[in-house]
Amino acid sequence: MISERTRRNLRRELRRSLLAKLGIVVVILMVAMAVFAPFISPYSPSQQSLDNSRQPPLGFSTKETKEVTKMEDGSVVIEDGQVVTETQTVYTNATAAHPLGTDGNGRDILSRIIYGARTSILVGLFGTSLAALIGVLVGLSAGFYRGRVDDLLMRSADIMLAFPSLVLAIALVGVWGQAQAPIPDPFVATGLAPAFRSAVGLPTGMPETVVLPGTVIVVVALVNWVWFARVARGEALSIREEEYVKAAKALGASDGRTMLRHVLPNAITPILVLATIQVAAIILLESALSFLGFSGADVSWGFDIALGRQYQSTAWWISTMPGLAIVVTVIGLNLVGDWLRDALDPGIEGEGGV
Amino acid sequence: MSLSRFLIKRSLQGLFVIWGVITVVFGLRFISPGDPANVLLPPDVDPEVRAQVIAELGLNEPLYVQYWQFVSGIPFGDLGLSLVTRTPVAARVVAKLPATLELAIAATVVAVVIAIPLGVLSATRRHQPADYGATVFSLVGISTPNFWLGVMLILVLAVQLNLFPTSQRPIGLDGIAMLLVGGEAGAAIRGFVTWLWHITLPAITLGTYFTALITRLTRSGMLDQLGQTYVRASRAKGLPETLVRYKHALRNTLIPVITVIGLQLGTLIGGAVITEAVFAWPGLGTLIINSINARDWPVLQGSLIVVAVGFVLVNILVDALYAYVNPQVAYD
Amino acid sequence: MADTNSHISRRSYIKLAGGAAASAALAGCSGGGGEETETTETTTTGGEETETTETTTTEDSGSFDVTITQGQMPSGLDPHDHRETTTDIVVLHAYEGVLTRDAAGSIQTALGTNYERIDGENAVRFDLREDVTFHNGDELTPEDVAYSINRVVDEEVSFASPQSDQLAGVAGAEVIEGENAVKVNNSSLNPIVFSEFATYLDVMQQSWVEENDKAYIGQNMNGTGPFQLDSYTEDEEVVLTAYEDYWQEPAAVDTLTFRAASEASTRVNQLLQGETDLIVNVPPQEVQRVTNSDNARVAAAPSTRIIYNGMRYDVEPFDSVEFRQAMNYAIDLESIVQNVLGGFGAQTGQPTLPEFVGHNPDLDPYPYDPDQAEQLVEESGYAGAEIELNTPVGRYLKDLEIAQAVAGYIDELPNVTATVRQRDFGSLVDELLAGSIEARPPWFLIGWGEATFDGGLVMEALLASDGTLTTWQNEEFDALLEQAGNQSGEEREATLQEANAMAHEQCPWIFLNQQYSVYGVNDAIAWEARSDERIDAYAMSQQ
Repeated sequence: MISERTRRNLRRELRRSLLAKLGIVVVILMVAMAVFAPFISPYSPSQQSLDNSRQPPLGFSTKETKEVTKMEDGSVVIEDGQVVTETQTVYTNATAAHPLGTDGNGRDILSRIIYGARTSILVGLFGTSLAALIGVLVGLSAGFYRGRVDDLLMRSADIMLAFPSLVLAIALVGVWGQAQAPIPDPFVATGLAPAFRSAVGLPTGMPETVVLPGTVIVVVALVNWVWFARVARGEALSIREEEYVKAAKALGASDGRTMLRHVLPNAITPILVLATIQVAAIILLESALSFLGFSGADVSWGFDIALGRQYQSTAWWISTMPGLAIVVTVIGLNLVGDWLRDALDPGIEGEGGV
Repeated sequence: MSLSRFLIKRSLQGLFVIWGVITVVFGLRFISPGDPANVLLPPDVDPEVRAQVIAELGLNEPLYVQYWQFVSGIPFGDLGLSLVTRTPVAARVVAKLPATLELAIAATVVAVVIAIPLGVLSATRRHQPADYGATVFSLVGISTPNFWLGVMLILVLAVQLNLFPTSQRPIGLDGIAMLLVGGEAGAAIRGFVTWLWHITLPAITLGTYFTALITRLTRSGMLDQLGQTYVRASRAKGLPETLVRYKHALRNTLIPVITVIGLQLGTLIGGAVITEAVFAWPGLGTLIINSINARDWPVLQGSLIVVAVGFVLVNILVDALYAYVNPQVAYD
Repeated sequence: MADTNSHISRRSYIKLAGGAAASAALAGCSGGGGEETETTETTTTGGEETETTETTTTEDSGSFDVTITQGQMPSGLDPHDHRETTTDIVVLHAYEGVLTRDAAGSIQTALGTNYERIDGENAVRFDLREDVTFHNGDELTPEDVAYSINRVVDEEVSFASPQSDQLAGVAGAEVIEGENAVKVNNSSLNPIVFSEFATYLDVMQQSWVEENDKAYIGQNMNGTGPFQLDSYTEDEEVVLTAYEDYWQEPAAVDTLTFRAASEASTRVNQLLQGETDLIVNVPPQEVQRVTNSDNARVAAAPSTRIIYNGMRYDVEPFDSVEFRQAMNYAIDLESIVQNVLGGFGAQTGQPTLPEFVGHNPDLDPYPYDPDQAEQLVEESGYAGAEIELNTPVGRYLKDLEIAQAVAGYIDELPNVTATVRQRDFGSLVDELLAGSIEARPPWFLIGWGEATFDGGLVMEALLASDGTLTTWQNEEFDALLEQAGNQSGEEREATLQEANAMAHEQCPWIFLNQQYSVYGVNDAIAWEARSDERIDAYAMSQQ
């Protein structure tokens, strides 16, 4: 499906561009991190240690003398409706056990970032695939049949485009609620990861399932398919008049077959380029939904940023670290997207930001 | 096709899309689990009272009647009543509009003011530190989720350094205008300073993505233009370099840039929603999120309609402007 | 109206009242940002503080102005057309009830001077105070009181008030001919009628309500309370001023302004910058900023809200008492209260809070004993169980963090796997309020606020077989509640204590925390936090 010339262009562009290499490395690392999370994560993302909460990252230990609330049996002491305070010296010590620190429930932030990559990448891949599937079907049909079908499909696309994607996504998830599907983690289910962890002395008890945020995937696909439809339609419009397509039809090939066998392969390059950019856009969209608390995801970068916000005056790292993970991943994807675009020059646009 | 015929056709298309938007928004309520009456009533209320409230809300009417009631009011600015406060939705949406608009405008201003010079600088100093700096900035800028940027700005500039407020909009441009009209110039100036102080972080938060995007576009557009024959010819004629660069090349670069700004309006509004959530900015975005949390469907529906219809109208306007300044463009 | 209610049995309206509109008792904040902590929805009716403020000590240093910042603005100013604490806190400065409560929760008179049952009838009478005037200068009449009661309970009087069930069992009111008193008719005995009136029902002026339209009433106030409305800007601020002709000493506060900021950190910033004087819901992680500031302090009081994990008695593995007990042993509640809530909560071990009628002082919270928990799980026969905790997010103070901590502890047991499922609050409540137990989630975190300070009502709503939200059925327990329903005073208290002991032992819940109301207050203001979540500006003075 990918021509020799295309491959040559890709290779040439890759040799020329340092940024493209960097992007590929970042993307591969992030995907590997997500896939092999049960092997490399220092702890389970949900393993808590309340006494160990809000531990700073390495290099950020502090010692402060301040007014703290007086406690008895775990509760604050109240006298005449006022909270009693006392002056204390408070130490917060970073440890190598939690290089990026711990969150409000004493969970390891590094582990949560590693597992959070799974949510981002699952939504990015499934969301983009679903969007591409819907968009390509609609776009190909519109371009192939033209006339009324085209008008109808493209006007519905216009209607979708009239809603800012984040607004529509929030409304849909908000209205629908959150459906999630737990799927067994193959590495944990087969015993590979636990065996590996005990062998190298890492704590076991990793999550047995990967949670697939169903509603979010459907919603991000619903708000993003239009871009694929536009590209696919354009390609279909230009290809349908080609001799070999006409020939195939004349020979009695069904419409579906003609589209699949002849039109789609020619449209695949721009769709792939668009898909790369869309993965980045969808990862950003997912993180925004999670940040707003609409996705229902328990381990997600955006959600952890939101959780960390409440500690912004005392534990900055809780919301800082997952954000850095998003930025690095999206930069990687954008670099790969630039590389593909420069090499293939398909001349497309697509919404990219949150 | 003449410009006027183009505009008529475009407007008709726009009307169709607006109708579609309204229909989609109407349909939203039916995919939601849960009964709107539950928002208003305690669950164990007397069934008679419940039936009466449902009747008051018109929820027992046949679907087409409900649809007609929903659609027919919209041209007259009737978006129904909020389930929670029982006040007209239209008034609430309109009340929130200035906050969102001024945030969007401030962000666009930030973006244009920074991005265009930066893009030009980057293009004219190719392969120099300034160019690398601008390239890295624009790459990071388009890759940073703006809500996180907002959180970080609050963390550093508001909480730690206490330079800016973390949120709130004590006065808006509308309020400042009222003061001016009322002849209170001093209060208006103080109000403007307060406004500026409060909008700085949200505007940077919302504007960064666009700054990065426009920097990128300006840079590549300028590089394109500077390589064109007419630029070389002008240079050969001995025209001053600044004139060549800033009058001719930049002007031609700006046309596609403006188009993209128009196209990205949806992203801008979407970004405003989440920026508002970060800064508790009392605009449409906050209204939308609150209405979802309170399950106040009429308010959600009204806000969505206003956002989408506004977007369609602005797009028609951008198209018209574009057609006007670019007469050679085919209206199709 | 009386006959439409007559089919409601005494028991079911006790249930209703205990429900106090379950949704409202459950509800946290409506709206607000993602990290917004909570706004509880218990409701109280106005009245005076028992101790009058010493106004003479107020220095003559200009006016005493106070700004209060809550999480949300009131949804309107009609005292009978809302169900939010935020609105109540505002309107209760202008409107008052016949009865009220003191800061500790016990019943006091307000516009009424005397309250008693009428012998031989399912009715009670309230004698009313003389010389009380509305803010428009008119005198309070018994007609106004009767009208106000009917406006709430009878939808034909004015509109269908969402508060009608707060006066469950009340059929209507009438003036007692020739006396400054009203008679309230109940559809049957209604043992909790005074409790209801102490917590609910704001008195409005009949002629004022009838002469103005609904929209006007929602934007203006004309009550008898210590403050009168100066200006109201929807979504922005409500400004009140002291009412000089108040029937007690006028308030020390001259101007009282209510504003809103949904983000807790914003409220704290405003307090520290002196832009406001009192803020609600200071989250634990922001407390240090306030205590270490030079102009503000933290005030707190245990609230009437209990946070618990319901476990459905009819599904595996929660149908085993051993398993349910194991869950209580598995969690380190002290650590959750101390570390997750920053100490702003109290551990519980029974459904009834210490301030409530029926609390059993002999019951301690379950200790943290993971070995015992593991063993009990083995005994239950459900070793290897996988369970999922449904939790709302951002509705109660640290709800999600508590749920994660609870599931985290249970997940640490070698023989149970526990996860957390975040739920949209609305749909979770829909499920919880479903008509049958079968439709309710097997394991969930929820909070319940009971403004009437009655443990019996809590247990009726949450644990009786036919309770609004119950996930447990136990005949013996039902019998105890039935028995308490026919008792009064210390007898009833003893029966309720017995019921609490039974709940403690049977563990229909994982007992979690009593929530605290936490406020930030400017040091210049003398004010004490109340346990009913009211903020009473009449009790404020300069210090």
